[in-house]
Amino acid sequence: MTYILDDYAILSPLRSRNNWLKLAIVAFGILVGVSASSPLVPFTIALCMSFATIYFGRIPVKFYLQILSVPSGFVLVSIIVIAFFFGEGVDIFSFSLFGYTLGVNPEGLNMALLILARTFGGMSCLFFLSLTTPVIELFAVLKKAKLPDSFVEIAMMMYRYIFVFLDVAMGVKYAQTVRLGYRDFRTSFRSMVMLGTNLFIRSWEQGEKLYLAMNSRCYDGKLIMYDEKRPVKMPEILLTGAYFTIVITVFWFTRGMSLI
Amino acid sequence: MHIFEGFLPSPWWQAWFVFSIPVILYGMYRLNKLVNERREVVPLLAVAGAFIFVLSSLKLPSVTGSSSHPTGTGMAAILFGPAITAVLGLIVLLYQSLFLAHGGITTLGANVASMGIIGPLVAYLFYRAASRSGMNFYLNVFLATAIANWVTYVFTSLQLALAFPAPEGGILASFLAFGAVFATTQVPLAIMEGALTALIMKYVIQIKSDVLVDLKVLSIDKATKLREAMQ
Repeated sequence: MTYILDDYAILSPLRSRNNWLKLAIVAFGILVGVSASSPLVPFTIALCMSFATIYFGRIPVKFYLQILSVPSGFVLVSIIVIAFFFGEGVDIFSFSLFGYTLGVNPEGLNMALLILARTFGGMSCLFFLSLTTPVIELFAVLKKAKLPDSFVEIAMMMYRYIFVFLDVAMGVKYAQTVRLGYRDFRTSFRSMVMLGTNLFIRSWEQGEKLYLAMNSRCYDGKLIMYDEKRPVKMPEILLTGAYFTIVITVFWFTRGMSLI
Repeated sequence: MHIFEGFLPSPWWQAWFVFSIPVILYGMYRLNKLVNERREVVPLLAVAGAFIFVLSSLKLPSVTGSSSHPTGTGMAAILFGPAITAVLGLIVLLYQSLFLAHGGITTLGANVASMGIIGPLVAYLFYRAASRSGMNFYLNVFLATAIANWVTYVFTSLQLALAFPAPEGGILASFLAFGAVFATTQVPLAIMEGALTALIMKYVIQIKSDVLVDLKVLSIDKATKLREAMQ
């Protein structure tokens, strides 16, 4: 809860670039990464996208590494399971536990490495999007994609209220903490309940107020967005082209190849 | 429990989109109908979704020491029903993947299936059945949310097992392996979330029970009875 990627996106120098270009770059990376059969492809994508995010997007390296470690808990646990249970062949190493022999074979290890690389490739693409494009910019994209108005409308208002409630929640939590509300398990549970209740009631009242406020300003179920025209510039096309070429070349040369 | 970007291999991430999209379309249809009838629900649903997001980004005090967050979808299902929860869940999951680096885009279909559709549906069915059979309201909320959380986690394990079956013992063996590994954090987490939601409901009844009557979670007599029991 201490950081929201959107905060960085709003200040990003890449914010003023064409949204569709950024979406195309991200979609390309995600799709190629997920369909690659060698860990090298997602690894290349991860390198390129991390470089773009840190260098062009001016994101602090320390912060970038910190958010990259968010999925690591889930991913490490799952790839260990995959390494042990997936694939057939001679075990590289094994040990016995409660009478069962657990072993890792080349196929399982390859799969685990591939999944690890894919996850980091995919996450770095996602980070590129969320650290350079504030969600406000994406609403215009959602509207163009012909999603129902009520859906986009709810998404937009939700976006606004996430920040309102996060502020409230952080304030309440801070006040509770200085009053020793998170001293031990019992008190933290009690504090959590109070925080949750207050948030719920407050959000409900806020919703009613919002309806009144919008109704009195002639809200008819449609908020009109300004969709800024941002032509794609030549250097951007060249860079994107170079990136696509590198990834496709790596993809081509590593078909059916495995590390071990 | 989110599946992260790039984790599901090719036939499976598409398959879960195929599973989720019709449900989401049905949810949108229901949502549109509701919005046409009562326009005031748009801001209410929006703040409800924001509430779910913020609730799910709070860290629960955890027994095992791992970072654990409530899903909040069980509560949403009790309040709004499963169809609308699926749509809200889709937006919340999208925002979680963009703001907090939880989840992903290709795995969005799978995550919506487990956290937005299956978990809430089971919670809702349990809540309705149990409240008809006259179970104590708080116990019911506790069980419904805890079960929603468990079902979500079991379903995620199943999704992972289907994508990565073990050569010996097949899907079942890897399902048990994934299930056992994640059980250590998910079982206490579900109990915590259930208790948290039940207590939140208690305070809501105390302070603003008319909200629950408006949403048809409780009938008027039942809400007054619960309020009187508290005094």
